[in-house]
Amino acid sequence: MGFLVPLYLAGLAALSLPVILHLVRRTPRGRQDFSSLMFLAPTVPKLTRRSRLDQLLLLAMRLAALALFALAFARPFLREAASFSHADLPGRRVALLVDTSASMRRADLWQQAVKLAERELGELGSQDDVALYTFGERLQTVIGFEQEGTETTQAKPQVIRQQLAALKPGWGSTDLGTALVAVAGEIDSTSDVRQSSLEPQLVVISDFQKGSRIEALQSFEWPKRVPVVTRPVQPARRTNAFCHILPDEEEQDGADARVRVVNAADSAGEQFYLAWSGDEPQVKGRHELAVYVPAGQSRVVRLARGTDALQADRIVLRGDDHPFDNTFYAVPPRKEQATILYAGSDGPDDANGMQYYLRLAVANDPLRQVEVRPLHTIGDLPKPGESGARLVVVTQSPAGDWTAGLQSYVEQGGMVLVVPADREAAPIVPALFDDVDLVAELRRSEGEYALLGEIDFTHPLFASFAGPRYGDFTKIHFWKQQRFALRASAVTRAVARFDNGDPALLERRLGTGRLLALTSGWNPDDSQLALSSKFVPLVGAMLDLACGTARVATGGTVNEPVTLPDLPGSPAFVVVAPGGLKIDVPAGSRIFAATDEPGLYRATAGTNEIPFAVNLAAVESNTAPLELEQLAQRGVPLGKSVSRAERTERVRQQRDTELEGRQKVWRWLIVAAVGLLILETWWAGRTERTIAESSLRAA
Amino acid sequence: MPQSRPDDKQGAALPGGRAAPRTGSFIEPSTLMRIKNLQMRAKVVVDGFLSGLHRSPVHGFSVEFTEYRQYSPGDDLRFLDWRLYARSDRYYIKRFEDETNLRCYLLVDLSRSMGFHTLAYDKAEYAKTVAATLAYFLTLQRDAVGLVAFDQGIREYLPARFRAGHLHRLMMALEHAPAGTSTDLAAPLEQIARTARKRGLVVLLSDLLAPIETIETQLGQLRSQGHEVVVIRILDPAEINFGFRDESLFFDLESGRELYVDPTAVRVDYQRRFAEHARDLARACNDLGIDRYELATDQPLDRALFDLLNSRMRRGRRFARRRSAPARPVAGGR
Repeated sequence: MGFLVPLYLAGLAALSLPVILHLVRRTPRGRQDFSSLMFLAPTVPKLTRRSRLDQLLLLAMRLAALALFALAFARPFLREAASFSHADLPGRRVALLVDTSASMRRADLWQQAVKLAERELGELGSQDDVALYTFGERLQTVIGFEQEGTETTQAKPQVIRQQLAALKPGWGSTDLGTALVAVAGEIDSTSDVRQSSLEPQLVVISDFQKGSRIEALQSFEWPKRVPVVTRPVQPARRTNAFCHILPDEEEQDGADARVRVVNAADSAGEQFYLAWSGDEPQVKGRHELAVYVPAGQSRVVRLARGTDALQADRIVLRGDDHPFDNTFYAVPPRKEQATILYAGSDGPDDANGMQYYLRLAVANDPLRQVEVRPLHTIGDLPKPGESGARLVVVTQSPAGDWTAGLQSYVEQGGMVLVVPADREAAPIVPALFDDVDLVAELRRSEGEYALLGEIDFTHPLFASFAGPRYGDFTKIHFWKQQRFALRASAVTRAVARFDNGDPALLERRLGTGRLLALTSGWNPDDSQLALSSKFVPLVGAMLDLACGTARVATGGTVNEPVTLPDLPGSPAFVVVAPGGLKIDVPAGSRIFAATDEPGLYRATAGTNEIPFAVNLAAVESNTAPLELEQLAQRGVPLGKSVSRAERTERVRQQRDTELEGRQKVWRWLIVAAVGLLILETWWAGRTERTIAESSLRAA
Repeated sequence: MPQSRPDDKQGAALPGGRAAPRTGSFIEPSTLMRIKNLQMRAKVVVDGFLSGLHRSPVHGFSVEFTEYRQYSPGDDLRFLDWRLYARSDRYYIKRFEDETNLRCYLLVDLSRSMGFHTLAYDKAEYAKTVAATLAYFLTLQRDAVGLVAFDQGIREYLPARFRAGHLHRLMMALEHAPAGTSTDLAAPLEQIARTARKRGLVVLLSDLLAPIETIETQLGQLRSQGHEVVVIRILDPAEINFGFRDESLFFDLESGRELYVDPTAVRVDYQRRFAEHARDLARACNDLGIDRYELATDQPLDRALFDLLNSRMRRGRRFARRRSAPARPVAGGR
């Protein structure tokens, strides 16, 4: 016989109570009338030498009733013959979810994780099924669940061990929430679809850092029968800091960098050092900058390159315990060479001419080294397939037949900007733009001026002025303009107009290039354009339009796609990864997605080489431990893993409960106890009456 | 008539040089209670008491005490008590015979608790005997005596009178008063308040087995009416000593409550609480200026009467005539 709640058998100790009561009970010798009981207190029964058991039959009935109640509460049942062993345990469906994010590269975390996984594999029974998943930014199925009862189920643990040996952490960040949701859904749906009797269980092996994203759990209803067992791994030493370059609000030449250093909340160390570094030994910075950052805080410092680190492509941090995030890559400053051919009669130093101001505008371009060369003959224009000037500025009508040459230049991808300096130069516009007619030259008297009244801010030339802060051109006065009119079916379009409706900037696409024409010069005689703050960015935009954007996607993170610049002709890119691997980008595509590791990548297209840096996601460096209660708050049922012996005991308990529920022996015990109590009550009353009668007779 | 036992030795000297009656001269209560007629019983006690006084060598005592004194040559023969001469063959001079008579009310508690007894007679019988004795004595002194027999209400009432046949009626009322259920002084007090126009003496005979607060309130009401109050507490020896031996179910005669009690286990505690109640009662009586006397039912009545009168005499009170000035509160009790 077994008992479901054997603790209630302790109630049998209460059997001593009636025995004591029977011993201490005193039968009164009689009745005594007394004047007043106000000075009397009842006598408490106690055991004395004279104590003896009275009313043995009553005592026996009371003891029996108490014993029956205690037995009933203990819920007895008759065990069946079969014993229960480990082999009878229902199987489990265990999903091992192993963290392979960048933070697992710390110290010996990965080795710890592998050991824990192998320990879980060792706990598996013959009936258990197991699957291995890894996650960083994305979930990957290494070994999935199989059909029950197949031979591979027994061999799986060994296969998983082999796979584990081959795995290693990547460089991605940690999306724990998405991984949990995906695997939980997988287990639950698998169990449902196959009506499996296997108990699902999800074992997560991770460092559970605060940088792990868990937002996906917020809106997920966790399947009730999928418990999660967490197996955290932690390094012995906790100090971790990382650095990254902050973008400058002002245009800088990139020599110095504003660097933020962040120290993890659970760090013990606070003193760190920054220095520029690179692959070549000579670029390794000799000048380390000491930075003091308390745990949980950050500091921004300015790190100068120094003349011997101009080509350094990374900042290295020293002073913490985990170097996996101590390098921040940055493309070294490099200026592109660009040439502008200028066709005009004014000299480079003529402050009344346009060349003077053009040279000033391109002199300090941080991204380009621009050379302005005079264009004397059409032969100076670059031939098709040659690299060279991408922008030609024409202010005077050149001699000879320039028109065909310029048009050919534009059709081959060049850009020509025509700015008639005077009335004599104006006819070149209708010569190039065959759907534009010259109307007249307009000179305004003193005090009169025109303003730019209509501007297409979607055009690349004016896109940078689209914001309300930069889009005000009303302070730029124009006194002289060449008036042109567009024909009715003109292909040429006016990108900007004056307030009198006359076109101010004309554009025409020819082949793969552009033709642009400004109807008013920027020199002080014609307008205030060269003297305004918008002239330099406008010229820069023209160069970008002509030469292609020179900005690269710095600050890209691992596993995030990078958008490559739009080069003229849209050539196909070949990207060289930091390890030297060459990856082709599909033709016509500017998206590069194979950013698997941090470092400097180089995208080459033809003779163009565009470097870009890929760094670790900053959240991955937030290595302070995550409170696991946050998972529980989002509905994840965190459980403890139970050993096989504990599971056996639990299942045995369940079987005993079912058995007892069928037999319900306790009911009969209760009925017997109640019957005994009724009998005892009757017998006790009878006894009391007998005593009372005898004492009355005695009185 | 039962005789007192012969006295063959002197009693001890009392304060003031007075001699106590000789031991052995008192009548045993058990013997006395065999006299069925209450008036006769009272007469025996009073006569025995007075004859005891006669044998006292100290003359002044009885004169002051009883308002009689032996005749001395030169006394005014108008005050000679010829009845006493007829009875005793001696000459005594009455004093203050013409003064206003004392009005005395005897309040006799005849509730169920007074029915308790461990002797051959209960406390109620003893109380009636004491009341009858006092009534007889006071009548001899030509004082007016009234009766209020009560339990939870008034069972018998006789106004204070001195006239022919009144004593007899009083005795009859005492003899026939039934035993009630519980005790409540409120009713008799109201009766006295309604009928007693003049202040007098109120003698309360009860076991006073009630909470002190109740007793104090009720006695205070009595005193507030201006009467001189004497409390005679009648108790059975078992109530004082709790000399029971067997474990029994004790039954409260008034409330009907039952309690299982082992007397050997509770005796000490009972005596302590009893004594505490008695002290509180003494304090209450003292505070109210009430004389208090305690009589156990195994004590001879005449001895009790003697002690009572003696005590009052020592304190300057007379158990007879009321002075013109109100009585000062003095310490009560023995």
